[in-house]
Amino acid sequence: MQEYYLAKWLSGELSEEELREFENSQAYASYKKLKDASSSLMAPEFNPDVALQRLKEEHINDVPKVITLNPFRKFLRIAAVIAVLLAGSYFYVNTLNEKIGTAYAEHSEVMLPDNSKIFLNADSQISFDKKNWDNKRNVDLKGEAFFKVAKGKKFTVSTDFGTVAVLGTQFNVENRKGFFEVTCYEGLVSVNYNNKESKLPAGTSFLVINGEIVDNGMPNGSIPSWMNNESSFESIPLKYVFAELERQFNIKVSSKNIDTNLLFTGSFNNTDLNMALKSISTPSKTNFNVEGDNVLFYAGNTPK
Amino acid sequence: MSNVCEDHIFSEVFKTHSKTVFNFIFYKFGNEEKAHDAVQEAFVKLWQNCAKVSPEKAKSYVYTVANNLYLNVIKAEKVRLKHASSLSNDRTNESPEFLMEEKEYKQKLDNALNALPENQRTTFLLNRIDGKKYAEIAEMEGVSIKAIEKRMHLALKSLREHIDGI
Repeated sequence: MQEYYLAKWLSGELSEEELREFENSQAYASYKKLKDASSSLMAPEFNPDVALQRLKEEHINDVPKVITLNPFRKFLRIAAVIAVLLAGSYFYVNTLNEKIGTAYAEHSEVMLPDNSKIFLNADSQISFDKKNWDNKRNVDLKGEAFFKVAKGKKFTVSTDFGTVAVLGTQFNVENRKGFFEVTCYEGLVSVNYNNKESKLPAGTSFLVINGEIVDNGMPNGSIPSWMNNESSFESIPLKYVFAELERQFNIKVSSKNIDTNLLFTGSFNNTDLNMALKSISTPSKTNFNVEGDNVLFYAGNTPK
Repeated sequence: MSNVCEDHIFSEVFKTHSKTVFNFIFYKFGNEEKAHDAVQEAFVKLWQNCAKVSPEKAKSYVYTVANNLYLNVIKAEKVRLKHASSLSNDRTNESPEFLMEEKEYKQKLDNALNALPENQRTTFLLNRIDGKKYAEIAEMEGVSIKAIEKRMHLALKSLREHIDGI
């Protein structure tokens, strides 16, 4: 007899042979009676119509369908997403460094958490970690800035060219395309360029043009000339002079028939464009022509 | 798209399955009131989620809801079932002894049913009273057909043992 043959018998799934065997068994009569008796059993009254009526009256009319609930759920979902984004961006922004920058023809002064000061020349950017400042005095610099560093732990300036490290001093760092200059005005500055460290005592500077270290003269004065609204140059290729001119006056400088690698010594005023142009053209023996925001330098009698 | 949210489809599902949901819960717990409540609860849930439950799934949905409703919550009571007037078909000349015997048998059957484990009783009664196939019961209970056959077999066995006093 197969497994669960009683169930199979009740559902009429026994084979003829099995059925015969079962019918001949002693217990068959009892099971037969059980089968008959149980078929006359009845469950309590249940009237689906009445129950449905009750359902509609008592429940369904007060119960909003999910369809109507959906917008709220959707709203919650969106709200949750926004909350997560806000929280995430809050933490993200918090971990970001403080960033300050200047545009063309703009100067700016930044006070650091330890009262060190940074003066930003035109088109320059610094960023630093405000939160971690006490542990790590580091400023990332793009462009040119003059630093007055309060005494304290090592203060570093990171540039694309190298790192400048000091303890407490005043120095100027300029890093532009192909041009990197550090000038120390007070104290001692250490410049790490190409993994080579150079010590700069006060009154000296370190200059790299197009990857080559250039010996240059002593800086004049106790602060960079640009701090006094003057850009000065000593044996600097003309193209960097032009680039500085562009930054200080937010103009476009182009040249014609001029070797821009010629060295220029001199300075120009950062407030008066006309004066500045003359300051460049006279010593370099060039002419210039201004058209709106465009300035063209040309040699000799070159026509426009 | 046919949807349980539509009133006529919902009503149809209700009329087709509410009786079985009622019996299903009643066989389990022997409590008529709770069985009525279970029907209400199960179909309210179906209505609330009508957008998510397809008409094909509605059946097993209401059984599942009803079944989970009292799971481990209420204690099973005695299942009181009614018996159709007589066990045998020809009842023209029944002797008092016969009637007496029959009454006794019904009593024994009732007791035996109540002595069954809940899942065996439910399976047995769904089959005997509601005429549900094992496959349908398996779907309602969420178990295999084999499991239902086992419950049925054991139910018959212990009912007989109880009644015959073995």
